[in-house]
Amino acid sequence: MVKPETDSTSRLPLTPAVFHVLLALAGGERHGYAIMQEVAQSTDGQIKMGPGTLYGTVKRLLAAQLIAESDERPDPQLDDERRRYYRLTGAGEAVVRAEARRYADIVTIARGKKLIGKTAIVSLPGGCP
Amino acid sequence: MKPESRAHEFPLSQMIYGRLLLAYPRLHRMEYGAAMAQLFRDQCREAWNESRNWGLLKLWLQVLPDLASTSIMERLAALKERKTMTDKLASLFGFRVTPAGTFFRVFILVFLLVLITSVAITFILPESYASTARIKIESDAPTANSQPPAYDSYFIQTTFEVIRSQPVLEAVINKLNLDVEWGKKYLNGEKLQTSATVELLRQRLQLAPVKNSGLISITVYSDDKNEAAEIANAIAESYQNYRVQIRKEVTGDAIDALQEQYRDQEKRIREAQAEVEVLGQPSTGQATSYLDKTRELDNLVEFHKTLFSKIEDKKLEAALPGPAFQIIDRAEPGHAPVKPNKPVDIVLGAVAGIFLASGAGTASAFLSFFAGRRLRKNPAVA
Repeated sequence: MVKPETDSTSRLPLTPAVFHVLLALAGGERHGYAIMQEVAQSTDGQIKMGPGTLYGTVKRLLAAQLIAESDERPDPQLDDERRRYYRLTGAGEAVVRAEARRYADIVTIARGKKLIGKTAIVSLPGGCP
Repeated sequence: MKPESRAHEFPLSQMIYGRLLLAYPRLHRMEYGAAMAQLFRDQCREAWNESRNWGLLKLWLQVLPDLASTSIMERLAALKERKTMTDKLASLFGFRVTPAGTFFRVFILVFLLVLITSVAITFILPESYASTARIKIESDAPTANSQPPAYDSYFIQTTFEVIRSQPVLEAVINKLNLDVEWGKKYLNGEKLQTSATVELLRQRLQLAPVKNSGLISITVYSDDKNEAAEIANAIAESYQNYRVQIRKEVTGDAIDALQEQYRDQEKRIREAQAEVEVLGQPSTGQATSYLDKTRELDNLVEFHKTLFSKIEDKKLEAALPGPAFQIIDRAEPGHAPVKPNKPVDIVLGAVAGIFLASGAGTASAFLSFFAGRRLRKNPAVA
């Protein structure tokens, strides 16, 4: 479980599921189904989260205060009021930035060793781009 | 929501998923159960719009492992957070420990898991069609006093082996171009080796005697109903050709002997005719000998004719499969697949589910009973 801590780097590395949920929420508030769709779309369908994985991850992220439940709806008229929306907290944003930087550093190392080209897209464990 | 999706609220899938949520700890269910059910409903709509029932099946195959693994993780996580043994057991089983309640819940959970798995497997398995041709066979060997031949298991078994033999099946493969057609299916378009095709064909072929008759059924299984019928008929015809060939070889020897006799008879007729011509001249004065020789010549000519008709009969006999072989029923494409037998498989899955669920439920009930008794005897454990 991700524990609430102040230092964002101490939480790294994140599990693929946690990283992808945080990445999805970096684009704005989303409900569970929208998060799942965003993750599937951004990974070209390589990662398809089931309800159990998604809400297990959400539960841990809420406990770690990396995300929070949002009271406001983007458009209450158009949406099901039972849906629960989630948003990134400040700590969550810091963590997802730190994890993205960590991946970027890994890509730089791999390029230095000529394992990948400058334009190559790599698939890291868990399908992370 | 699209109107098409609105028409499909997937009550069965939702009901089953709702029951399966019992696998999660109670607190987790209270907090996220409704959201998970709603997310599952959204996934059902998406899967349905994508590829109807096949989409729903794929969704279930994705959701079931997810549910199994995450429910165990949540239970273990809940277990760690509990301080007392009672609470630990309660979080493990999802309710306060009572043997009857434990049995009931574990029974429902295991039964549904086994049933859903058997249904999923039944629908995933490829469909197989069967077509059967029936042939009448009897030994070519003549039987005493024209009695119908008795059942001869040795002859039947020999016939089976002949039908399954390389020459008979190779003729079928060549006729239907099976090495190319199956190569497209199973070897990315490359032509299969004949030996491999023969082996595949043998695996799909089932031979059986029809009870209390001289009939044999030739059954062929295939994922294509027309192909199954074509192969079954081709095997019957190939075996028929094989019998004709064998008869030709056997009768060929008899024809050779008869022809030899025929030629010999011709020679004797020519000699007799010469003698008759000499004896018939008026100067010889041997009227009696002339009449005898003429009769002998007539007999020779008559026998010569008999030999000719015998040879013709043998030639005709060699060209026909004979009454000892007959295709009684030609194979027709099946209307419905024979494998998997969906109703039977689902019923078997339900029966297996009841047995497994009873075992798991009983074991869980005993566990909860003895754990509860231990707690009552020694409260310090908690």
